[in-house]
Amino acid sequence: MENKIVTLGIDIGSSNIKLVLMEYSENPIILDKKVEKIRKRNSAEVSYQLINDILEKNNLKYEDLAYLASTGEGEMLLRKKGHFYSMTTHAKGGAFLYPGSLTVVDMGSLYVRAISINELGRVLNYKMTGQCASGSGQFVENISRYLGLAIEEVGDISLKATKPETPSGICAVLAETDVINMVSRGITTPNIIKGIHLSIANKIIKLLTSVKAKSPVILTGGMAMNHGMVQAVEELIEEGKLDLKVHAHPDSIFAGAIGAAIWGGFRYYKLNN
Amino acid sequence: MYICKKSLIIYFLQQNKIYDLEPLKDILSKCEEIAFDLDFTRAKEWKSQDKKRVIVGYMPIYFPREIVHAANGLSVGILGGGDKKMIIKGDAYYQSYICHMPRSIIELALDGNFDEFDGFIFPSICDVIRNLSGTFQILGKGKFAKYLDYPQNFKSHIGGEFYEQELQHILDEIYKINQIKVTPARLNESIRLFNKNRQLTREIYDIRQKFPWRLTAADVYHIVRAGYMIPVEEHNAILENVIHYIKEDINQPLDKIRVVVMGAFCEQPPIGLIKTIELAGCYVVEDDFLLGARWIQKDIEEIKSENKLLSTLSYAFLNNSTFSSTIYDVDNPKEGRLLELINRRNVDGIIFAAPSFCDPALLDHPILQKACEENDIRYVSFLYNENTGQFKVIKEQIGTFSDSIKLWD
Repeated sequence: MENKIVTLGIDIGSSNIKLVLMEYSENPIILDKKVEKIRKRNSAEVSYQLINDILEKNNLKYEDLAYLASTGEGEMLLRKKGHFYSMTTHAKGGAFLYPGSLTVVDMGSLYVRAISINELGRVLNYKMTGQCASGSGQFVENISRYLGLAIEEVGDISLKATKPETPSGICAVLAETDVINMVSRGITTPNIIKGIHLSIANKIIKLLTSVKAKSPVILTGGMAMNHGMVQAVEELIEEGKLDLKVHAHPDSIFAGAIGAAIWGGFRYYKLNN
Repeated sequence: MYICKKSLIIYFLQQNKIYDLEPLKDILSKCEEIAFDLDFTRAKEWKSQDKKRVIVGYMPIYFPREIVHAANGLSVGILGGGDKKMIIKGDAYYQSYICHMPRSIIELALDGNFDEFDGFIFPSICDVIRNLSGTFQILGKGKFAKYLDYPQNFKSHIGGEFYEQELQHILDEIYKINQIKVTPARLNESIRLFNKNRQLTREIYDIRQKFPWRLTAADVYHIVRAGYMIPVEEHNAILENVIHYIKEDINQPLDKIRVVVMGAFCEQPPIGLIKTIELAGCYVVEDDFLLGARWIQKDIEEIKSENKLLSTLSYAFLNNSTFSSTIYDVDNPKEGRLLELINRRNVDGIIFAAPSFCDPALLDHPILQKACEENDIRYVSFLYNENTGQFKVIKEQIGTFSDSIKLWD
């Protein structure tokens, strides 16, 4: 690989849009990154604005990009050169953030996915949660809103729990009813939040077991930024005596966009050679 | 012009300046409307203009439409109700282990959507279609319901003779309705029109082979399916118009794999499925949707004075047919023809998409997949129904398939 090229990865999720501008070479470097909440706006329009902003901020023009890669719900994005499936990009992004990872857990707004990978970030096996939202970041976000908390607060509040109360893990509607009952029964907010984290963590442990996860495990996606969630996963791993070491990274939320940017660079060279 | 290097705004400004794509959009939207018109409005309107006109409905896969055209008729493709028809009565006619298409055809028939149709052709695809032809006869739909047996012997004096007799039987039925005798001159005119129709359709596929980003697979599907619903003269005009636009350097190329979709020759995939395949990272450069429109691979010769009336149609069927699960092909096996097609279309992989419970497709897939494995050709397979509405799992399968070819091969 002779020259360094610039690629852009854009991960359009159901809650957030994440962008990563990358200098792609044998050792890719993140040049800039950006995350923005969609907030009921048109995700394509927000994406175009974010692309323009990040390029302008870095004194780049669209034609300076060797490859613009989308992932997540980015199939409809017109400006892209190619689209990669979320599993592929989170696998690569996870391997980039924590080199040597053999398992990636993508904890997004709508789904949680456990992915077995090799040392190159190639997907070997995966399992994901079903249709129910009770195992997703969106559910945590909804509950935090009902409890009058900002999503950024829930992680730290969860760490203060002393006697967590776990809601139904099967159905988001039932779980929300459980939470209402807990509030009326005077259960404290930290115990409610921690209970929700444990409920989701329980699903994650099941996914890890079914893919025969190997350590180290990197957590990616928006929920990986939630300390309380990460701690709940660690507690259940310890409780279940699983031989797994879990890691989160400050850039975990960007894993999909990072993976897309790296694969975009890879494809650029493949297509041009 | 390598458009993706331009900024989006400039790109569209250039597009608007150089190519006005609005007329193409109008054609595509008109085709979509015609293609899924379950009331067959245009066909009925066409018939109402002349008392001697007839409408003949035909089921998949192939039927030589030329003979109906020559007999002052319009052959209309009956491809089921897709995801646009709620099945209430149709389910009572078929067991749960039977495919979906006959249920929606029965539903359409019972709801009176075919009331102005004069006859129905049921080409020999499988037992379910044979059963459907019997049901139409019992229900008294149309003035005739003909189960058209394809010859499975490809010698002209055996299979050819038989096929000509089958077609003559249809002409006799139409004659009873409108007393129009098909002459060589009338049939030659029809052959010329349908030859042109096939040439134009092939040209669209050939352009898409080279530049698949100029027209989506769903657009091509709508265009070809519209031809099942309207007079061939009108469809030829549409095809010529489309070709005019897609010969230009329009739309932006994307980094996708090139695939063939096989198995969808009878019960048609929902349009959402075709869109999902392309959204998930594939360009469909070849398929067997609406296979009847491209069944005959070369021009059919016109009849000369010394020929029998139906001899050139028969010759074309015996010698220039494409391959399909419904044709006995021991002398020219379909797996070899699939491999030849893959080479010709320069594809990266195959998507085997078959309707649930479609015996012809599902019995052939292991043979075709074995040939793929022996030749290191990547493939993925799944099942669908014509009314499937959820594509999340299929999108995942195809997205992963596309990524694996792009990134790991």
